[in-house]
Amino acid sequence: MKNRHWFLMAASLIVLSLLVTACSSMGSLSDLTGKAEGVAAAAQKANKVRQSFADITEEEEYYIGRAVSALILSKYPVYQNETFTGYVNLLGNAVALYSDRPETYAGYHFLVLDTDEVNAMAAPGGFIFLTKGLIKKCRNEEMLASVLAHEVGHVSAKHGLKSIKKSRLIEAFGILGQEAAKRFAPEELDKLTEIFENVLGDVAESLIERGYDRKYEYEADQLSLHILSSTGYNPYGLLDFLGTLTPDASSGPAQGWFKTHPSAQDRMSRVQKELNSMTQAASTESARTSRFSQYMKLLK
Amino acid sequence: MCIPNRIKFLVFAVLIVFTAVILAETMVVKVQTTNLKKEPKFFADTITVLKMGESVETISLQNGWFNVKTSSGQIGWLHSSALMEKKSGFSVLTSSVSTQASGEEVALAAKGFNKQVEEKYKADNPNIDFTWVDKMLKIKVSTKEIAEFLKKGKLAESGGAR
Repeated sequence: MKNRHWFLMAASLIVLSLLVTACSSMGSLSDLTGKAEGVAAAAQKANKVRQSFADITEEEEYYIGRAVSALILSKYPVYQNETFTGYVNLLGNAVALYSDRPETYAGYHFLVLDTDEVNAMAAPGGFIFLTKGLIKKCRNEEMLASVLAHEVGHVSAKHGLKSIKKSRLIEAFGILGQEAAKRFAPEELDKLTEIFENVLGDVAESLIERGYDRKYEYEADQLSLHILSSTGYNPYGLLDFLGTLTPDASSGPAQGWFKTHPSAQDRMSRVQKELNSMTQAASTESARTSRFSQYMKLLK
Repeated sequence: MCIPNRIKFLVFAVLIVFTAVILAETMVVKVQTTNLKKEPKFFADTITVLKMGESVETISLQNGWFNVKTSSGQIGWLHSSALMEKKSGFSVLTSSVSTQASGEEVALAAKGFNKQVEEKYKADNPNIDFTWVDKMLKIKVSTKEIAEFLKKGKLAESGGAR
């Protein structure tokens, strides 16, 4: 190696190192300043940076998810069959592992709701519910996996948190930014709990009453296809499932999934388009269909 | 001026190591617990369990997995969904409104919507029952059980990306 080249390379490395050191020092300096300013100043800093749903911590998401789940469970009874619930949890956790967000604050948990209504809901943090009525629409494991992957997609993309009105978060972050004590003073706790209730209202309305924005449903379908494919399921399971969702005109006003989701036909055409662009899909294995049938015998 | 190759090599090595050390970033565990894995996959052996708030130094990133060094010196792999950035020299320059949290911010965040708020909410709404939420959280599925489930269903290989 010629000396000229050597000097050039060494100089580049030195400049890069110095630049990075300078950047790091700025960070350290701001830390030191932050410490000198004390916790109150840090609180103000936190207030500045926490502005939207993306700033909700995993732990906060977990507490929002817990309370939204309690609201869902106040409307629907739980289907209590340990073996079947265990199967749904195995399947759900398997597909969650292949999502973009395999780890949440307290992991993914699934419950079956004891109703013939066709519905599935995902509360923030990974609390996922699906009804007996929906499960009965599935003819094989791929179809059930497609629904679970769709719901995991909602959690992964934080669609529940996105349905919270921004004004509520700004108000909550304002309170959190002003107070540096470990526990809340009574009046702050009152105010924060009121905001918490409103936050739950926003999420529950999206999940149970109004449904997510259409674009989130399409996104969850797309995520479902990719999760299915990565897990080794035949992604056509989603198309097959959507095919079962033709509302029965004789059943009166739309309920559950039909009320909260875009029309199946619309979703099917989008899913088909996505499937066309996907490379080789796995086939539906009889080993899976056979175990699905065994578990379905338990579902009464 | 003639510099021996051995010296050139030594200077390069020192500079490269120095740069790598500076580029290493501190990250914080943001989930309740996460498993430090021997390899960058969920089905690999677990070295130890890390809790929320524990800091790690990142060494490299591979397919969504960080190779990290824990505060006790153990080296292994953590999935990126379990970690958040604590501080980065680069972020100081590139973002004035950063969403990255410092130690103080993590502590403050922990007192957001938390157990204290949930307790108050429960007291205000005695009709909302959390019994099944707590039962639901007790349903645990291990990665070993998932691996077995996938194998029996002829699904993704347990030795694959996950």
